[in-house]
Amino acid sequence: MYGYLGIDVGSVSTNMVLTGEDGTIKHSIYLRTQGKPIEMVQQGLKHMQAALPGKLKVIGVGTTGSGRHLAGVITGADIIKNEITTHAIAASNVMPGVQTILEIGGQDSKIIILRNGVVSDFAMNTVCAAGTGSFLDQQAARLNIKIEEFGPLALQATVPVRIAGRCAVFAESDMIHKQQMGYNIPDILAGLCEALVRNYLNNVGKGKEILQPVVFQGGVAANAGMKAAFEKALGHPVHVPSHYDVMGALGAAMLAREATNRKSTGFRGFEVADRDFKAGGFACDGCPNVCEVVEIMESGQVIARWGDRCGRWSNALTQQARIS
Amino acid sequence: MSVTVGIPRALLYYYYYPQWKTFFAHLGVKTLVSRETTRGILEKGIKSTVDEACLPIKVAVGHVMDLCDRVDYIFLPRVVSTARREYICPKFLGFPDIVRNNIEHLPPLMDNSIDLYRKGSSLYNLFYSVGKEFTHNPVRIMRAYQASMAALNNHCRDMESGRLPFETCDSNRHNRQDQDVGVRDVTIAVIGHPYNIYDHYISMNMLKRLRDYGANVVTADQLPEHVFRREAEKLPKQLFWTLNQRMVGAAFYYFDRPEVDGIIHVASFGCGPDSMTGELIERFARRESRKPLLNLTIDEHTGEAGMVTRLEAFMDMVRWRRQLDYVAATYY
Repeated sequence: MYGYLGIDVGSVSTNMVLTGEDGTIKHSIYLRTQGKPIEMVQQGLKHMQAALPGKLKVIGVGTTGSGRHLAGVITGADIIKNEITTHAIAASNVMPGVQTILEIGGQDSKIIILRNGVVSDFAMNTVCAAGTGSFLDQQAARLNIKIEEFGPLALQATVPVRIAGRCAVFAESDMIHKQQMGYNIPDILAGLCEALVRNYLNNVGKGKEILQPVVFQGGVAANAGMKAAFEKALGHPVHVPSHYDVMGALGAAMLAREATNRKSTGFRGFEVADRDFKAGGFACDGCPNVCEVVEIMESGQVIARWGDRCGRWSNALTQQARIS
Repeated sequence: MSVTVGIPRALLYYYYYPQWKTFFAHLGVKTLVSRETTRGILEKGIKSTVDEACLPIKVAVGHVMDLCDRVDYIFLPRVVSTARREYICPKFLGFPDIVRNNIEHLPPLMDNSIDLYRKGSSLYNLFYSVGKEFTHNPVRIMRAYQASMAALNNHCRDMESGRLPFETCDSNRHNRQDQDVGVRDVTIAVIGHPYNIYDHYISMNMLKRLRDYGANVVTADQLPEHVFRREAEKLPKQLFWTLNQRMVGAAFYYFDRPEVDGIIHVASFGCGPDSMTGELIERFARRESRKPLLNLTIDEHTGEAGMVTRLEAFMDMVRWRRQLDYVAATYY
């Protein structure tokens, strides 16, 4: 039995997917990154190994997400791909003919427009994190509501309250104001969802032609209130795929299958979960740029470096360990 | 005793440096260009500039500071207008004042004006008033001026033949376009102000990155003036910003070129004209063209991840779409 591994190391969550040779998901893992991407990749690998039948052999690895280079070095990935491409690939495989992908993750949100099965336009949030998962997380915590209960509660709303969605700071003070006026929590939550959707469509989706079918994915897609708010704003159904939270990893696994076509994998095995990796950094004093160079060490040996503009440090390593 | 004039490697340096250098050389004056932008230069600039100024202005202030104790004069022409009935950004216009009010221990500034807004005004006025400082011989100034115009023409011709400004400004550049190896299968037009896209630090090496991803890069500065002006006439009303006229015209031109596969518009955060031309270009793209367009905004951040992700995704998209067009073309 053979399989492909996809790893998505995001700012908030680290996801892993193992697909069979036919691209179906055998197992998926969703972990919180907690600011420790290396440990989480290792932990994920351990969970993955434990959940899989012993005779399964990984013949391709792909990494994506903002920590893709890090994860790629640790696992020996065959392909390291940006998250826009992987999300698009996963969505168009799960739902052929998809024309719009709404993706909201922990720290970023994006919209991907596909036409004829090909990405024709995309946008990511620029300077503002209002309308991403971490803001919802924080507000849920402030209201002492578990993030899992957020969606169902929002659906109970009878009169959604209007909340300013332009900026997370204003949204918060608006929410406090409405709560002190005596509005119900479900109404406030539904209002917050609508504000975030409004902000998303005005900001990220500005001027984009949102055509059906629409897929909504990323961690925030778990929130039924957000799905309902999107459907209300767009006026047509929004589809949340069953593996909405690991779509990036799924896309990476699919790309790994393509990348290892008639080639053997660079995967270093599940054993890397037990190896000793350390990330360190130093400020290079070679010029006034003072680049922050990052070093990844395995058992005391440098296996990768990046962050230097001139290549003085990253080029000093062997060709194979070089990144970006 | 020979005199040294400092020229900051910022703002209009990328358009006019060859002309300025030639002019001063003919008057027997040495010129010194500030060093390439580094974090140190940027940080100095940020500290000494008001917060609301745009990034290019902050960088330019940093470059002036880099020159301060190494030169006798700093050449900072007050660029009001370089074409009839058009203006340059007001921050350029006020730049000598920004510098004077924020930096201490300045060498004397040469902030003579360039103002071609009105009929009959000439660039010669600038050079005559500058030249007067160094010689009393008007014939010598005239000769230097003529030589400098020839140098400017050469510079423009060089760019029109496909070279980029920093390649023509400095002959010993380390990353010349024609020196890179590897297959280049796509052509990307990068539309942005020269002081943003050619500054390696500010642009986070964007042009080099694109080439590494296998792209041929073309820019707005490689178009002759009459071409981008003709294209910009597609707008219902003439823009009065000269620099942005070039951006819009070039974008329109490249949208129509079959060999260009995608367009990247680079704006600096907080730039008024850029935010408007970005929107104009985007609307045009949506209405008239099927070419992929990416809007990139740059600012002080040093994290490269955001830019790398967008550039990579854009390149994927361009290749993917082209493949599809190719398939469609063979079927129908």
